[in-house]
Amino acid sequence: MTNGLVLAILGAALAALLAGIGSAKGVGLVGEAAAGVVSVDPSKFSKVLILQLLPGTQGLYGLLTAILMLSRIGVIGGNAAQLTTAQGWMFFVAALPIAVVGLISAIFQGRTAAAGVGITAKKPEHNGKGIIMAAMVETYAILALLISILLIYNIAI
Amino acid sequence: MSTTKYANAVAAVKAMENNLLTRADIDQLINTRTRAEFISALAAKNTAAGEGSSLAEVWDMLRAYAPDSEELKLLAYRNDFHNLKAALKAMISDHDPKQYFIRPTNLDLEALVDLLKTKEYEYLPEHIRSTAAEAYELLTRTLDGQLSDSLIDAACLREMQKKAHKCSGDMMKQYAQLITAAADIKTAFRCALMGKTKNFLGTAVCGSEKLEKDDLVREALAGTESLLAYLENTEYSEAAKLLRESPAKFEKWCDDVIIDIAEEARMLSFGYEPLAAYYLAKESEIKNVRILSVCKEFGADRDTITERMRKLYV
Repeated sequence: MTNGLVLAILGAALAALLAGIGSAKGVGLVGEAAAGVVSVDPSKFSKVLILQLLPGTQGLYGLLTAILMLSRIGVIGGNAAQLTTAQGWMFFVAALPIAVVGLISAIFQGRTAAAGVGITAKKPEHNGKGIIMAAMVETYAILALLISILLIYNIAI
Repeated sequence: MSTTKYANAVAAVKAMENNLLTRADIDQLINTRTRAEFISALAAKNTAAGEGSSLAEVWDMLRAYAPDSEELKLLAYRNDFHNLKAALKAMISDHDPKQYFIRPTNLDLEALVDLLKTKEYEYLPEHIRSTAAEAYELLTRTLDGQLSDSLIDAACLREMQKKAHKCSGDMMKQYAQLITAAADIKTAFRCALMGKTKNFLGTAVCGSEKLEKDDLVREALAGTESLLAYLENTEYSEAAKLLRESPAKFEKWCDDVIIDIAEEARMLSFGYEPLAAYYLAKESEIKNVRILSVCKEFGADRDTITERMRKLYV
C-alpha cells in the first residue's frame, strides 16, 4: 500500500466522518426542538419530522463522496490503485469541500430548522416557510458535494 | 451555556403560546353579560388563567423544561422578597405566615420560616440573606412595619438589577430597569403625597441607571408637582403624564411596557428569553382575567373594561 493510497483513504474517511458529525449535531438539535413541540402537541409530529430530516442530508453527501472515492481508487472491488503521494494528496483535497462544508452547513441547518420548528409550533400552516429557510442552507452543501465529485472524477490515475 | 440548549424548551413554549387568550377571546369575554356567563366562557376557552395557582404551575413547567433556570429566577424575585416580608411580620406577630405567602418563588418557604426563627441567615439564598438580617433588626428595633417593608422592597429592586446584569442578553436588564423605575416612581410619588421624610425616602427609593436615587428623593421632597415635572424630562415622560391622570393608567402603562419587552424576546429562537416572555405573557393574561372578573362583578361597561385591559402578547 502506497502513501498516496493512505492519503486518499484518509480523505474518504474524513468526508464521511465530518459530514456525518455535522448531520448528527444538526438532526439532534432539531430533534430536541421537535420533542418540545410534540410534548405539548403530538399532532404536529409529522410536520416537525420533515424539518428534523433536513440536516441529515450532509451525512449522506459525505457517505456518497466516500463511496465514489473508494470506488475510483479501486478499494471497493479489491483492486486498489498504486497512487503516488501527489495523487493521494489530490484525492485528500477533493474530499475536503464536502467534509468541511458538510460539517458546518449541517450544524447551521440544524439551527435554522430548529427555529422552523418554532414556526410550526405557533403557526402550523406556515410550516413550509420554515422548511424553505432551512433548505436554503442545503445549497452550499450541494455545491460542495458537486466540487468534491468533479475533483474525484478528474484526477488522473 | 449555549443558547441552543434551550431548543427543546423554546419549541415547547411556542406550542404553548397557542393556548394563551387571543384578542378575539378577550373580546368574547368582554361581551359576556354577567359574571356567571363570563366564568362559563372562560372555562370554555380551556385556559388555566381562571385558576389562582396557574402562574405557579407555569413556573414549575418552565423550570422543568429549561436546562438552566438560573436566569429565570429573577422573575420570581419580587415574590421572594414579598415572602420574606410575610415571614418576618408573621414571626414578629406570632401568626402562621403560610396564608400570606405567594408563589411562584425561589425560596423553600418552610426553611425560610425556620431559618428566620433561628436567625441562621447564612443558610438563606444569597439574594435575600443580608436583607433578611437587616429587616429583622430594623423591625425589632423600631416596630415600624412600613419602614421594614420599604427596606425590603428597595433591596429587592437592587438585587433584581444585580441579577439582571449577570444575565446574558438585554431582556432581563430591560425588565429589571422597568420594574425598578416603576416602583421608584410609585414610591416617590406616594411619599411626596404623604410628606414623608428624607430618611424614609432614602430607605424606600432604590434608584437605577435611568432614574437616579438622589434626583428622585430631592424632587419627591419638593412635592408631587416637582416630581412629575422632573419625570417629564426623563425617559419616563409618558409614564409621568399618565401618573398625573391616574395611578391606574400608570400601572397599565407599566404592564404594557413589560409585554413590549416580552414581544421582542419572543422573536428569538433560542435562549431563555422566550421562556421568560411566556411567563410574563401568562402573568399579564391572568391579570387581564382578574380585571375582567372584577369588572363583571361590578357590572362595568364595555368601555371601562376595554380601557383597563392590558396589552396582549398574542
